[in-house]
Amino acid sequence: MIEEDYLKIETPENIDLQIRLAGVGTRFVAGLYDNIILLLMYLIIFVIFLIINSAGFNQFNDVATGILIVSFFVIYWGYYTLMEWLRNGQTIGKKKACVKVVKENGAPITFADVAIRNLLRVVDSLPGFYFVAGIFMLFSKKTQRLGDMASGCIVISEEMPQYAAKEKEGRQEAWYADVDAEALEAIGLTQKEFDTLYNFWRRRSELDLEAQYQILPKLLEPILTKMGREVPLQHVGCEQILDELITKLMHTGSSRTDESGSNR
Amino acid sequence: MKLSVFIKKRRDTWDKLESLLLQVDKKGLKTLSPDQVQELTRLYPTLAVDIAQARACQADQRTQQRLNQMAVRIHGILYRKKSRQPFKAMGRFYLKGYPKHFREMWPYVALSLVLFLLPCLGTFVMVQLDPRTAYLFVPGGETMDLVDGRAGVSAEDISERFRNTPNSIMAAGITTNNISVALNAFALGITAGIGTCFVMILNAMMLGGIAGHFANHDLIYAFCSFIVPHGALEIFAIILAGAAGLRLGLSLAIPGELTRKSSLQKGAKDAVLLVLGTIPMFILAGLIEGFITPSYMSGQFKILIGIGALGITLAYLFLVGFSSKADVSL
Repeated sequence: MIEEDYLKIETPENIDLQIRLAGVGTRFVAGLYDNIILLLMYLIIFVIFLIINSAGFNQFNDVATGILIVSFFVIYWGYYTLMEWLRNGQTIGKKKACVKVVKENGAPITFADVAIRNLLRVVDSLPGFYFVAGIFMLFSKKTQRLGDMASGCIVISEEMPQYAAKEKEGRQEAWYADVDAEALEAIGLTQKEFDTLYNFWRRRSELDLEAQYQILPKLLEPILTKMGREVPLQHVGCEQILDELITKLMHTGSSRTDESGSNR
Repeated sequence: MKLSVFIKKRRDTWDKLESLLLQVDKKGLKTLSPDQVQELTRLYPTLAVDIAQARACQADQRTQQRLNQMAVRIHGILYRKKSRQPFKAMGRFYLKGYPKHFREMWPYVALSLVLFLLPCLGTFVMVQLDPRTAYLFVPGGETMDLVDGRAGVSAEDISERFRNTPNSIMAAGITTNNISVALNAFALGITAGIGTCFVMILNAMMLGGIAGHFANHDLIYAFCSFIVPHGALEIFAIILAGAAGLRLGLSLAIPGELTRKSSLQKGAKDAVLLVLGTIPMFILAGLIEGFITPSYMSGQFKILIGIGALGITLAYLFLVGFSSKADVSL
């Protein structure tokens, strides 16, 4: 299983939500997007400035230079702050990387929070490439950089992996397999036994191989004895039987659920 | 309840919610119709129950995660800031909240004032005693050299240097630079205030050193008529920014009865509000510096403008925002 950091928060509905914290890598990607956007903004403004300058409106040149200085300044200090403030915790890059800034308790952020975390960027980015931020994120429990700690914010991942599959195939991924009741009866399995098998089949990618080797034969044994079959000695054999049972028992018409873990 | 039965019963709802989320992702939140929003708010609590149930009947990790991520997303959509207009809230803060906040922060302002005035006076005296030390504090001091025979420099001559640069560039450049100094003074507070002290003392010594240098040459009036118009307000705002940095730094260094973390968070909030209030002051000071300081008005008049600007600011800080409605939050 992939190592991920979760944070438990309690919603007003009294339910514990497992919030997934965005990792250093994801946040780096978000930052990369934002920096590209920043660079483009600087570039566009500078080109406009050059055009005005070369167009020969001499009386506007000074004013244009003044405006250039001010707009660079506003973008440099204001981009992240304004974006996160007005777009509910998401800069364009963060949206793209499916991450979002929220308070440590999952609540939405206020302007003061946004201002703190983004003004402290100056310190976090010392001595270059967000070195300080990286160190603090590695050692903090909640992957927080200094600005996050001071403002009490966390960056969470809102990614929904299932979306990708859906968009490509144009259908919604099934939540669970429909079991063919007749086939189940024919083999003599109970619904509960099928559920157990199916659960293992779905979550085997979460287990490490050693555990799979140990669990699968034990799981198959009672079922196979019922069916009058032997448990294969090799793990590969067991897996084949598992696959075979699952495919046989599921409605032939229904879409076969995802090969869980194939996209990890 | 059996897992398969549970999922069969609920999956239509989940598919419905997922397609709503997909729509938000692809087309934006605003494309949701009122009915759809109502559906979202109606279904979300049931989803919250589902998560607990999925956990109880030990659904596979993947299903649990999927439900959970879905709930996190919807939670983020439904629970937003109160939609009181963001810019109105900002206006209210500057018109009423900030002076109140300033008065609450007075110990830090006082500390910052001392931190600025002492090195400033110290350097002034030092330059008086040994004129050569002035060059330590004046960047490119040699070029501004007044020693060799140009004792007759007037306020006009000093202002002349600045007339070469167009007003709008001066105002923009100086304002942005000063705001940067202030924001840095705040941010560096995170180093337990050491960075802030460094910025403050450095700026104070520069001011004291240059003032001493001019005084050595009997040019203190020329100096004042050049510095005071914009400097009075500017230096005051820098002191406020220093106070913000100290508030942040001391909250980290001396948490008192709070945990270090919650003390830092409280301090950061106080500090950021204090420093945000200085931005309009810097803009005003920058405009004065760009358009009035280099102008041909008389020195006395310019000094009057500078003192006036500071006076109005002080009046604002000490006379406004006494009603209980004054909202310090942002």
